Amino acid sequence: MKILLATALFLFSAWAWAQDDLGAPAQAVRMEPVPVATVVQGKATSIPLLFHLANGYHINSNQPRSEFLIPTILRVDPPTDIVIGKTTYPDGQDMSFAFDPDEKLSVYTGDFKVDVLVRPLHSAQTGKYVIRGTLKYQACDHAACYPPKQLPVSFDVKIAKAPSAPHKNPAQSPNVHQ
Amino acid sequence: MKRNPLVLFFVAAIVAAMLFAGIRIARNNRASGLGKGQLVGSLAPDFELPALDGKPLKLSDLRGKAVLLNFWATYCGPCKIEMPWFVELQKEYGPQGFQIVGVAMDDASTDDIAKFARQMGVNYPVLIGKDSVADSYGGVSVLPTTFFVDRDGKLIAREFGLQSRSVFVDHIKKALSQGQAVQAQR
Repeated sequence: MKILLATALFLFSAWAWAQDDLGAPAQAVRMEPVPVATVVQGKATSIPLLFHLANGYHINSNQPRSEFLIPTILRVDPPTDIVIGKTTYPDGQDMSFAFDPDEKLSVYTGDFKVDVLVRPLHSAQTGKYVIRGTLKYQACDHAACYPPKQLPVSFDVKIAKAPSAPHKNPAQSPNVHQ
Repeated sequence: MKRNPLVLFFVAAIVAAMLFAGIRIARNNRASGLGKGQLVGSLAPDFELPALDGKPLKLSDLRGKAVLLNFWATYCGPCKIEMPWFVELQKEYGPQGFQIVGVAMDDASTDDIAKFARQMGVNYPVLIGKDSVADSYGGVSVLPTTFFVDRDGKLIAREFGLQSRSVFVDHIKKALSQGQAVQAQR
């Protein structure tokens, strides 16, 4: 049993090694699954979207240092009745790479998080909605770059009813009971 | 029957090596679009593309010269490293019948590409690339991708990604030494 386990581990390691070593994957970035977020009618809620970049790759941050570099941009197409507010990107890491040790680039590597502000209208129907979009990025490794890609992005939100306003007794004239 | 752990280990090692080699070959072929043997050694696919000044340049018009065909983009950091080398190599080997041709493969405007090329001091023609031309070279999914064409118009080598300057020099010398030097039409 131990031998079989070791063999399986060995095969998996070889496969993982091959994946990391060879050229650009179809998508250098993948999005982590997002748990369904509950958002309340009329109230803005920030939804964190987590992305993971394959080992050995970097992409430009949302604010690259050169006009010629392609920024990472999330575009979201909300369903009717949901408004998308500000998208907040993390600051890029200032890094230089083997192909040009003298130049620092503002990049994302590894994991990064983009926050999207979601606000259902007061009139939005309660229930589950799928919000879709795309993450546009352009990846490079230590010796080459790859054409810009669009990663399909989607996450679910559940719209909940806004709590009803606290019931207030109407003001009464002090003379009513006199 | 008792299994020998050593035998099992060797079998696993061989399978892993085959798996790795298979993935490597498949991925490399996918990156280039074609198997190496299918392109290198054959005539370079001809094309005509507009240069930054709007004038068209046809690859076959350079027949008789050794050509370095460099697919690049303004967003590509490693491409920027090669460009000063290309400027020097054009000066050094140009008089022997060598011509570098850049093919810009990005969505940037012609003005931006021209601005970038000016900043880099490019002294060779830069063409505005098209996917159809890249496809004819096996698809350019890695930048920079550089092809070397001999004087007879035959592809003799290609390189993916940033290479050392000496790799370029070796290919250029080989390209210059192969084929017939005829008066180029351009």
